[in-house]
Amino acid sequence: MKQVDLETSHGTIRVELDDVKAPETVKNFLTNVENGHFDNTVFHRVIKGFMVQGGGFEPGMTQKPTGSTIQNEANNGLKNDRYTLAMARTSAPHSATAQFFINAADNEFLNFKSETPQGWGYAVFGRVISGQDIVDKVEQVRTGNKGGHADVPLDDVTITRATVVS
Amino acid sequence: MAASRPVPTPPDGPPMPTFAAPADWRAIDLISDLHLAENTPSGFDAWASHLRHTSADAVFVLGDLFDAWVGDDMAESGFEARCAEVLSAASKRITLAFMPGNRDFMVGDTMLASTGVARLADPTLVTAFGQRVVLAHGDGLCIGDVAYQRYRRFVHWPSAQRVFNALPLAVRRRIGTALRGHSGRREPRMEGRFIDVDADAALALLRNARAPTLVHGHTHAPRSHVLSPDATRLVLSDWELDGSSVPRAEVMRWTAAGFERIAPQTKSTFAPACAS
Repeated sequence: MKQVDLETSHGTIRVELDDVKAPETVKNFLTNVENGHFDNTVFHRVIKGFMVQGGGFEPGMTQKPTGSTIQNEANNGLKNDRYTLAMARTSAPHSATAQFFINAADNEFLNFKSETPQGWGYAVFGRVISGQDIVDKVEQVRTGNKGGHADVPLDDVTITRATVVS
Repeated sequence: MAASRPVPTPPDGPPMPTFAAPADWRAIDLISDLHLAENTPSGFDAWASHLRHTSADAVFVLGDLFDAWVGDDMAESGFEARCAEVLSAASKRITLAFMPGNRDFMVGDTMLASTGVARLADPTLVTAFGQRVVLAHGDGLCIGDVAYQRYRRFVHWPSAQRVFNALPLAVRRRIGTALRGHSGRREPRMEGRFIDVDADAALALLRNARAPTLVHGHTHAPRSHVLSPDATRLVLSDWELDGSSVPRAEVMRWTAAGFERIAPQTKSTFAPACAS
């Protein structure tokens, strides 16, 4: 399984990607890693006890342009348990592009239930294998409204670089 | 009053913690701010009676059930043990869920697990009866109260709680009393210091959840507030049955017909068809 390091302002988070259970999602994520999409982005949405989300905005909340959307692979049996990595999306089931989130709890209600707009859930494609304490730190930062968005860390939590480890 | 600033756009990404009510549920009771303590016997009786007799499928507590909570070991004896018994008996009959408030945020998983009470995140989106409603205690939305928000961030910090929990129960009780700044009785609402829920914060929360209704407590000022053509804020009543002020106790009953304020139930509403 491929591994990726997310070097952040709070420390490095290493994720392991499940390309067997979520092949398209992992391929899309690796493309974004390799073309530098995640470099100099922030965790722009942090909700304590729920999840930390990033990979879409530069510091200052400018949204980065993204590639095309990918198929939702949430029906792969993987659960949104604490420290798993999943794709963010709009309410349209197959609208994920680059933004991802790390679950800060066992978020059972995010799991796939059925192939319906309400039931699709959020696709889990990896998990944090080291730096869980870094995730915990990010989860605790002070947040507020910024640039028209809610739950934004008041002091930037930046992903300086994302690199493929193996 | 219309929002003066643009409301944050709904995010891409997973919505807030969500509870989906089973399809066969007919009613959910919402209560908050009972501030139960050794010196609120009437409040305790009304609450125990309601849990025993309500015809609702569930009772959700939106914070400040207890006037103070300084550790789950409180439930091992005394008044708190009697409260735990009430919860344990009721949770066998109906679904109970608890969201911490600003007074009882230290209620832990031990207490909840041993009494059969589920935990609700603050806020939680509940889907029931074909409706989407956000539930919150309310203190997190009073963002104009800067000093309080600073205090709230500190006491919710896991490291601070770990240090506190390591102290003996008697010491924690004393600290709790000192923090409340009085002998342990509930304080009346102080005129002139009242900072209400921020309208923009409430609207942002509802936009996030794609829900039209927010129900919360904390402010002890029960009312309905229209935030916008598609957003309403309903405030639960606190319970005060033991003090010298006007007695009040109210349950917000949520059904397919919407929301209705009712009195705590004192006997079963379903009489047997024949006495036997």
